[in-house]
Amino acid sequence: MSDDLRALTDLDRIIHEPARLLIATILSGVISADFLFIQRETGLTKGNLSAHLSKLEEAGYVKIEKTFKGKLPLTVCKLTAAGQKALAKYRQQLQDFMKKTS
Amino acid sequence: MDQNFREIQQRVRRYWFKDGIGEIVVGSLFLLLALYFAGHRWLPADSNAPMMLDGSLLLILILGIFTTRRLINIFKMHITYPRTGYVEYYPDKEGLLPTQIFIFFIAIGFIFLLVVFGKWVGSFIWLPGFIGALISIILIVIRTRAIDLNRFYYLAAASLFLGLASSFSGLPAHYSISLFYALFGIVLMIWGGATLAKYLHENPLADEGTDER
Repeated sequence: MSDDLRALTDLDRIIHEPARLLIATILSGVISADFLFIQRETGLTKGNLSAHLSKLEEAGYVKIEKTFKGKLPLTVCKLTAAGQKALAKYRQQLQDFMKKTS
Repeated sequence: MDQNFREIQQRVRRYWFKDGIGEIVVGSLFLLLALYFAGHRWLPADSNAPMMLDGSLLLILILGIFTTRRLINIFKMHITYPRTGYVEYYPDKEGLLPTQIFIFFIAIGFIFLLVVFGKWVGSFIWLPGFIGALISIILIVIRTRAIDLNRFYYLAAASLFLGLASSFSGLPAHYSISLFYALFGIVLMIWGGATLAKYLHENPLADEGTDER
């Protein structure tokens, strides 16, 4: 296997999954976003989104908090520093791969 | 690939402008400014009222710079977040208190310079056109930052047109400035209202609330 292809096997599988990549990208540009917003932006079902968020939370990439904004109950998600780092590394790895293979 | 990342992040940034609440709040502020400038012509010059009115300009400035964003967020909390979700953005430089204080003093200095320049030229007839052009530039900058919201181009064009029209209206300076703020404030409120109505129609309130996990 060439080094270029081997680099792909090093990709972070948690971030690499399309739905989780989308969630992480959405969260990377903001301090936090709530469950409803992420669900609308990703088009995922509640159960599916919940499962993906749990995976990201287990990996330490996303922090999930139940909170209130005024009287409004919210499930707020934040990309942690580890999540930001993992996403940046993933983007860099993909860019490097594209450069080498194009 | 990188373009896709940026597009997603821009879409999230654009969400802040989706409901038209910003235009409604800023439009109301412009109507206050219109009242301020019209008030100068209505009030008797030999009373204390014009001086009190000058003080109220400071109040409008403080209101505009320090509370507009907070006011917009209060409306969003009741209208937008329960419908399409809550997003907390990184504060841009304008949202930070030291920057707000800096902007406040810059605004005061800028108004002072405009007054000095107007007195030197001997006329303020150019002022609505100048303010209209300035607002139009600000709107185009917002459009560039919040990609694909073409309504900011139309608002920029309206600001420039109304500014020039007020300048050439032949009215005394205070009235022409007041006319510009009133007309543009109304345009902003109508546009914001229409955007909000469309948003509310497309996004009815979910029965179960937002806490869905």
